[in-house]
Amino acid sequence: MDVPSKTHKGWQDVVTGNKAFQLKFLAAKILLGRLTRAVKDNPSPDNIKTSIDQLYNIFAQNAHIPSVQDDLKTIFG
Amino acid sequence: MRQEILSIEDAKRKIIDGRKLLLAGDEDALRQLPKGDWIAGTIPYFISHERGGLVSRDLIFATDVTDIVTGMVIAQYDQNSLARVYAEGPKHGFSFIVIPATSQTHLSFALNGPNYKSFGVRPLVGWIAGVHLDDLGKRTPKVFNGITGDVVEDGALVLQAELSPKKLAEIGIINLFEQGDGDILTFSEDGFSAKYVMVNGEKTEFAPYLKKKKLDTKLPLVADYYGVMVNISFQGVDEADGTVKFYAPVFSGIRYKHAKPVADYVKSFGECLGKECGADTDQVVFSCNCILNYLYSELENKKTEPFVGPVTFGEIAYQLLNQTLVYLEVKDL
Repeated sequence: MDVPSKTHKGWQDVVTGNKAFQLKFLAAKILLGRLTRAVKDNPSPDNIKTSIDQLYNIFAQNAHIPSVQDDLKTIFG
Repeated sequence: MRQEILSIEDAKRKIIDGRKLLLAGDEDALRQLPKGDWIAGTIPYFISHERGGLVSRDLIFATDVTDIVTGMVIAQYDQNSLARVYAEGPKHGFSFIVIPATSQTHLSFALNGPNYKSFGVRPLVGWIAGVHLDDLGKRTPKVFNGITGDVVEDGALVLQAELSPKKLAEIGIINLFEQGDGDILTFSEDGFSAKYVMVNGEKTEFAPYLKKKKLDTKLPLVADYYGVMVNISFQGVDEADGTVKFYAPVFSGIRYKHAKPVADYVKSFGECLGKECGADTDQVVFSCNCILNYLYSELENKKTEPFVGPVTFGEIAYQLLNQTLVYLEVKDL
């Protein structure tokens, strides 16, 4: 599937920790370990936006990898 | 065989034959090699298919990527320019990095790597070079650029490997440590040492806390990074000033717990492979394991099949890890 735009609510749900998912792609998991904690400590719109940018970037640049495709389906259905 | 132990003469032969190699060996052994398409870090400890764990100053561990990569460049970074390592990784391939232990570049990467631009967008895998434990304080870890012949004590060498469009690189880890059931430990600042720790939110002197709780410092602190267990290994306690030192930095805002004990590393390793650690071993190109696992789990003469490789002073799977096996797979797309 294509990578949903950054405005999709799913990105915000992930970085804020509102929804937790079991993901496969190691880089995204390591990044999220830091981002979710940072957003919890500082849930400002700017911090959420910066976090979404980083997460989106990692998915967009690795969208050809099967584990990333699996994770996209897990998050966005 | 992609990963194998070689004599110095056999390693020379492979280099002269034009093979593209990721090498590990004692400094004196690596210095005997001719120029060619190779990158290396110093370490005389290995896990081999034939003998399991071993220490040798006369053997070289070689990972041959000739038939996997379509092109390679070796880039050298310092502690400042290393911030570009993710952004400059090959668009279709992987970056293989080796950094000398305790160098400024090592310390900087450990602390700042997760905040580098474009963290994780391209695969970055590798290890921290070390020395024979008898040489600690006498010799320094080094990395070698086989193309130029440069030997680097402070800096990072990165082999940027291009893959065929039909292949992809994925990095995996096997960490046998899990968070225990004890206190939640947090730190007020990032760093390789800490005098104080927040124990369930209460500021406490760390060294006396470890002593009072009788915590085994051979077991790491473990953080849960969205399901990935990331270890911080204890280096020691400075009794004079009460500072606790680590082999990798703790980060503020991350919740750590002391690890559950692993009774038998080799047995647990085998059980892990049979369960969730799902690497397709035919596709594993490179792997390495931590010197602390080698020492604490007494891996000399023991095998961790199918994984072999250098025994390292730190492992890199996107960021610095401790007490963890790291591997790189190259798969058909």
